[in-house]
Parts: sequence; C-alpha cells; structure tokens
Amino acid sequence: MTAAPASGRDRPAILGRLAGAVLLVPGVVWLAAFFLVPLAIMVVISFGALDANGHVTLANPGFQNYQDALQPEYVRVVWNSLYYALVTTILSIAIGYPIAYWISRYGGRRKVLLLILVMLPFWTSYLIRTYAWMIILRDNGIVNSALQAVGLTNEPIEILNTDFAVILGMTYGFLPFAILPLYVSIDRLDEHLVQAGRDLYASGSQAFIHVTLPLTMPGIVAAALLTFIPALGDFVTPDLLGGAQTTTIAKIVQVIFTSGRDWPGGSALGFLLMIVTLGGTLAALRTLRREVLAG
Amino acid sequence: MTGRSSRWLTAFVIAIYAFLFAPIVVLIIFSFDVSKRTFIWLGFTTDWYGRLFANQDLQDALWVTIQVAAIAVVGSTILGSLLGLGLARLRFRGAGATETLLLLPMVTPEIIMGISLLVFFAQLFNLNGSIGQIAIAHVTFCISYVAITVRARAAGLNPSLEEAARDLGASAIGAFRHVTLPLLAPAVAAGAMLAFALSFDDLIVTSFNAGVGSTTLPIFIYSSIKFGVTPQINAISTIIVAVVSIALFVAWRLGAFRGDLRNVVTDPEAA
Amino acid sequence: MSRQSKPVVVPFDEALQRYLTVSGISRRQFISRIAALGAVAAIGGIVEACVSAAQSPSPLPATPAPTAAGAATAVATATPVPTPIPSPEAELFVYNWDGYIGSNTVSDFSKKYGIKVTYDKFPDEPTQIAKLQSDGKGGGYDVSYPASTWLPSFVADGIVQPIQPSLVPNLANLAPEWQNPGYDPNNAHSVPNYWWTTGYAWDPAKLPGQYSAWADLWNPNLKGHLGMLDDMREVFATAAFQLGLSPNTVDEGELDQILAKLEVQKPLVRIWTDDDIGDFESGQLWITHCWSGDWYQMTSDKPNAQYVIPSEGSIRGNDTMVILSGAKHPIAAHLWINYNLDPQVSANNTNEIGYMGPNAAALPLIDPTIKNDPRLNPPDSVKAKLVELAYLAPADLDKYTKRWQLLRA
Repeated sequence: MTAAPASGRDRPAILGRLAGAVLLVPGVVWLAAFFLVPLAIMVVISFGALDANGHVTLANPGFQNYQDALQPEYVRVVWNSLYYALVTTILSIAIGYPIAYWISRYGGRRKVLLLILVMLPFWTSYLIRTYAWMIILRDNGIVNSALQAVGLTNEPIEILNTDFAVILGMTYGFLPFAILPLYVSIDRLDEHLVQAGRDLYASGSQAFIHVTLPLTMPGIVAAALLTFIPALGDFVTPDLLGGAQTTTIAKIVQVIFTSGRDWPGGSALGFLLMIVTLGGTLAALRTLRREVLAG
Repeated sequence: MTGRSSRWLTAFVIAIYAFLFAPIVVLIIFSFDVSKRTFIWLGFTTDWYGRLFANQDLQDALWVTIQVAAIAVVGSTILGSLLGLGLARLRFRGAGATETLLLLPMVTPEIIMGISLLVFFAQLFNLNGSIGQIAIAHVTFCISYVAITVRARAAGLNPSLEEAARDLGASAIGAFRHVTLPLLAPAVAAGAMLAFALSFDDLIVTSFNAGVGSTTLPIFIYSSIKFGVTPQINAISTIIVAVVSIALFVAWRLGAFRGDLRNVVTDPEAA
Repeated sequence: MSRQSKPVVVPFDEALQRYLTVSGISRRQFISRIAALGAVAAIGGIVEACVSAAQSPSPLPATPAPTAAGAATAVATATPVPTPIPSPEAELFVYNWDGYIGSNTVSDFSKKYGIKVTYDKFPDEPTQIAKLQSDGKGGGYDVSYPASTWLPSFVADGIVQPIQPSLVPNLANLAPEWQNPGYDPNNAHSVPNYWWTTGYAWDPAKLPGQYSAWADLWNPNLKGHLGMLDDMREVFATAAFQLGLSPNTVDEGELDQILAKLEVQKPLVRIWTDDDIGDFESGQLWITHCWSGDWYQMTSDKPNAQYVIPSEGSIRGNDTMVILSGAKHPIAAHLWINYNLDPQVSANNTNEIGYMGPNAAALPLIDPTIKNDPRLNPPDSVKAKLVELAYLAPADLDKYTKRWQLLRA
C-alpha cells in the first residue's frame, strides 16, 4: 500500500507510509479481529442447517437458507423498514440542519454548550426515554389527556402502536446522529464564502441553495449515512412504540433467531439484508460523490 | 458571526429543544410520583430516590455501564479518528475496501453482531461475558461512527492550511499538531459524544456479551417488568441528568466553552 | 451458621465438582443406599469423606460442624435441610426473570447462609436460552429457571447437571404428581418451580359481556385493544384448540389451518406483547392473552380484571429450577433449591406473584384467595383436560417457526 498525501506535497516515502500505517492499521486490525472474524463465523453458519438436536451442522452446506429467506410475504416488512428509515432520515436532516446552522451561526460563545445540550437527553437511558414517549403517547397518556381536557376530542386517539409513533420515536432517537455531523460541517464554513454568496445572489435563500448547501454537503451525506443505515436495522423502537402492524424486517430476523433458534436461517436473511443495504449505500455514495461532491 | 437570526428560525430551534427534552421532563416528573406504575399522578414523594439508594443492583448496573462507556469512548475515538483522518487524507489502493469495512458494522443487524461475538468469545476463547467483553463489542461498533464524522470534517479541510504552516517553518508534526488537529477537534469531540450515547444505550449486542455480574443499565431496565421498577429508574435518570447538567454548568462558569472554536486557527493558544 | 472458614472448603468443593461431572448417577445411588440406613450427622459425614477419598487423591475434608443442622431449622419450618450441610461456597450466580420470586427470598437466603447471591435477570426466554447454551455449560451461571420443555434438550446437551437428592431433602415436599414428571423422570436434573394455565384476561369496565372461549378473541369489535402473547407455541395453541387440533401437532396440513385461523385474527391484534402485565395495566390493551399468575398481578392495579381458562381447551405449563453443568458453586446451588422448596419460602413466592408451586407442604401457608381460586389453582377435573406443550424436535419446531415468521410479517 502506497500512501500519498492529498496535498501533493513531497514527503519522504517512508514517512508517508508510516503515517498511513499509524492512521489506518490500528482501526483496520481491530475491525478485522473483532468484527470480520466473528462475522465470518456467522457467514459459515448461514450455509449450514440445524441437526436433530438443534445444533448447527455443516454437513450439507448450501444456499437453502438464502432461498428460504426470499419470501414474498416479507415484502411488506421490508417496505416498512425502508419507509421508516427513509422518513426518519429526511426528518432528522430537515430538523437537524436548521438547528446545527443556528448553533453554528448564532450560538456565539455558547456554541459548544448548546451542542452539548442537544446531546444531554441522550445520556440518559434510551429505553427510559422510549418508555417516557409511551407515557406521552398512549391512549390515556399526556397527549390524549390534554386533547380531551381541552375538548378537542372525546375519545382517545390511537397514537401509540402506530406508524406515526414509530417515526416520531425513531426521529427523536436519531436526531443527534444527524445534528452532530451536520454541525461539524456547517461550522467550518468560511463566512467569507457565505458573504460572497450573499453579494452574488439576489436573495438569502438563493445564496443558501447555491453556496451554503453545496459546501455543507459532506455533512449532509455523513448525517444521512449515520441515520439511514442504523434506522434500517432498528427494531427496538418499532417494537416498543409500534405494534403488531408495524413489524420491520429487522424484527423478523430477530424472530427467526429467537423463536426457532434458527441461527442458519436468521444469519442468511440478515446477510441478504446487509448485502442489499451495503450495495445500495455504496451506489448512492458513488453517485453523490460524482454529482455533488465533485471529488 | 453572532448577528440575530430570524424569529422563525429561533422559534423553530426552541421548539426542537422542547421536543428533545419532553421525555426527560416526563421522566423527571414521574420520578416523584407516588404511583408505582407511572399511570396517573397520585402525589409527590421522594420515596423512589430513597429506594434507589438502597438498590444495589441498579447502582451496580449503572456503574458497569459507565465503565464500559468510558473504555468504549476512548478506544473507538482513538481508532476511529485515526481511521477517519487516514481515509480523508491518504489516497491508497485499499481506500474503497476500507470504506466498505467502515460501513459494514453499521449495516449489520445488531442481533447478528451480538450472536457472532457471543460465539466468537464463548467457543474460541471460552469466555462467558464480562465488562471487558462488552467494551470490546462497543468499541467495534462505535469506530465507524467516529470515523465517518471525523472524515467528513477532514475531507473538508483545506490542505493548504497545513502547507502554509510548513512553509512558515513548522515541522510536519508541528503543523499537524497546531493546525490540523485543532481543526479536527470538534469532529473528534462529536464522534466521542456519539460513541458515548451509542455505548450507554446499547441493548442487543450487550445482552449477548454480558456475563455474571456485568449487567448494564439497559439490560437491567429491559429485563425489569415494564413500568414496575420505572420510578426508581426514572430517579436514576433524573440524577444522571442533574449530575451532567451541574458538571456542564461548572465547566461553563470556569470558561470551558468560551471562545469560538474557529478562532483556534488564528490563535492556537486560545484553545 | 453453616459456613466453615477452614481451607477444607476448597478441596471438598473441588472433589464434589469433579465427582459430579464424572459420575453423577452412581453417586446418587450410592448415597441413597447409605441414606436408607438412616443417615445421621456423624454417619453422613463419614460417608461424604469416604466417597470423596475414593474418588480423588485430594485430602479428606473434615466433617462440617453439626451445628449447621440446628441453625438451619431455626427458621419456622418443619422440614429438614441437608444434614450435615456440606460447606457451601461463598457465592451463588442465579439467572431468572424479573419479579418471579418473593421480594425477600434472595436477601433472606443470603442472610441465612451468608452466601452472596448475584441475581441476574433476562428480558425474555430466547436471551436466557442463548446464554445458557453459549458455552454448552450454562454461560457461567449456577442456577437458572428454564421452562420444562427445554429439559430433554438440556439433558442431551449436557447443559444441566444431576440434582443430588441428599442435598435437597425438601424434595419430599413435592406433591405426588410432581415427583416423576414426563419431561424429566424422577426430577433427575430439575426441580419444578411454578405451574400455570394459559388463558386471557380482560377489563370488564371496558368490555362488559361474556368471555369464555378462545373464539371470543376473534371478535372484530376488539380491534385495536387486543393483545396476544409474543410466544409462538402459545399463540398457535389458541387456534389449535378452536379447530379441535392438538397444540403439539406436527402435521403440515393442520399447521396450515392454524396459520390461516391466526391470519384472520391478526388485523385485530394491537401488540404481540412481551409485557402483558404492563400493557394491560397501562390501558393499551383491554383484553389480552396471558398466563394465570400474570392476571393475578394485574389485579393489584385493576382489581376488577377477569381471567378465564377458555372452554375449547388450554395449556398447562411449568418451569423448573436447574443447576447448570458449569456451575462453580454447586453446593450453594443445591442449598438454593432446597431453600425454595421450604414450605414457607415457597408459599411466600406464590403469595407474591400468584403462580402456584408444586409444593404440597406449602399449601396450608398459601393465601386462600390464590389457593381457592379455580382460575389460579384449578381443581383436578379441570386440570385433567389441560394439555401440556411437548418438546418438539428441531425439524418439527421448524414447521412452526416458518409459519410464525409469516404470521408476524
């Protein structure tokens, strides 16, 4: 592996290679040891089957589990997962961008404090925050009680255990994952560029679209990555805030593992999902890089 | 620049902060509710705080969680920041593969990651779970988040800044320390904050890597009958919020958050 | 106080451990023969010493102080504890559900024997089983509480170790029907813990009317207020009973009929609940599939909640206490099991959580509202018609899980 600094400046080759090694090797080695190796075990298992005692056997390896995983009945739950993840990502970025922008531009001396305040709720337990949402959203919860007290409704509205509750909960959970990368990208904007943009373009919003937005695109891409991908695999939030009608494909993977103790079957479906998600993400990144980031 | 923002934007931001803190307010309120099952407000009491201080299991779970999070944050921030910077700065043949490697933990369903580590540690090393094992698992899935956050920032840095420092006579390491590193600092800090939140809250992967006596707070809560122990757990969450808030306030008063981070570029001593 | 602080504790523990893993059955036979001669403290001690010496080269352990027997029976119970009590280890690792034991049981046991109990909890059965099976020996725990259906596979896989009856004299308290269960003959590897029926509970304030059959849960009026247990076998059983089929069927055609019936109900289900108690009490569910003891706990918040064992038929189940084969504290584990079989302790457990135990000697001490309620403690005529879920071989279980996945999707 030859490492060349992006600046193009001449450096002694050894120092360059050393820099490359120090930067990349520790992380890669760690991931190889504690992620790739265990994952490889599961890949091997995914080609196996369960024997008469319920143990994984590799006697007849094959693609049976992968074929079984391709059930047309799963289309609905795959769609659920995609839908929730997509809406959550869009909402998180749509909400997160103004917040990050505001903190960066107008936070002044309190910038970092404001940022930490964003994170503060997320240093309590996720489960407890979710239970708190259940208290707020359930049939006899705070929202419904308030609506009835004010006279807007007579009967409780079914909020908990619906798509709405799931998306609300997921957006809430992923907001900081969007805000932080957006902030670090927006914050490094050179104000002179923004100022120039204002001078060049007729209105503030024009300047925003043509100058600020493209310059902060790396942050938007990072935010989208850090939100969409984990949101696809999130099944705890849809499980707690959703109900029987909001099942996600991630939940199905879990059900396969837990109800039938079918590790080969669960692994196969899980890997299928991974391949699809990864492929889609890489394709999207490549397109974005070409079209938007321009190198 | 600290001009005045539009009223709409400010109102929006306030609304979002309210949204972020709504559940926190709810759980704080219900930590003082007489009703055990947090359904109705039955009266004010500080009983639950008393019981919390007698609940050794819950406190132990919190302590385990903090230990794990500390190790996970340190480990993943270091490894992830190095990776992120390397990916942004260096052009090498394995770049695409490394990027894919970074994305892999994020696209892996948690139950698969959890079980794979369970099998890995139990069958290959005969280990039954421990704080260390949980921490290793956490570092593993946190690295990607730190790396991606740092890379986004590093990719946007103007390399001529570092060149300029070199031109002015700084050594390679000096330029890195006084120019690049401070510019990266916000991203590293952001990555660390993300890693902490991820580690503190993790349930699935942790549950497969916990062992005897290494129950974390999420596992403890999830294993409790819902709404059964909640008032005590509300109490402990309230205390966490209070402690962090007080620490932040003290740090702020002591001037920790003074200054625009961007000023660091022109005056490193102000950092 | 039964604990010895002499070094002899260690060798004895090692010897016993080695012995247990090597030759469980023959030891029990040997001990029971000697016990039949009328074991008294001194004889018992000599027997223990001889057995250990015969099995291993380690030095003979001294006979633990007979005062142990006296101290143990100081608690208000008429049944014996092991005499002599071999010195238990200082710690015990237990793995159980939350809220599934009397609230003082752990601390009382700790205080009585001076054993530090690490009581870890799991949120659901799959987590428990995965942990116990992870290293083939119990995942580092000493005692756990699996459902009875797991015993055949646990025994086959060597995950549990045989119970030494000499260390659990309270086994004599078990009601006759529990002394030789089908899933574990003669309780060789387990001790029954609680038993229950499965039915459903509802809130008459929200749902006035007659509810007596599983078919009532298919009423479209329940849409948005109905909960079913997140438990594959239990859910399939509700449909099986309505169709007149066995809940243990492995016929693909019958299973398809069961799936079809459940698909009809699915749009009505609000939650596949892991926490029927919480979801019912919070008002999210007005009517929910649940176990008998859970209904008892619901009544503490909703005193008017009703429960029924449906007329088409229902499940009777039980779970067990087992000692894992990798247990580092086997003596303490036996002591724990013996302690929970004490009539008062067993009654305390039942009185708090509403699940009946297998303990005949505890019956007089059980709360009459539990003991006399036919929904929590059905008479024999009803019990005879209840069905137990049988262990299914993986190939057969697979037929269920494939359909369960389709139902959930």
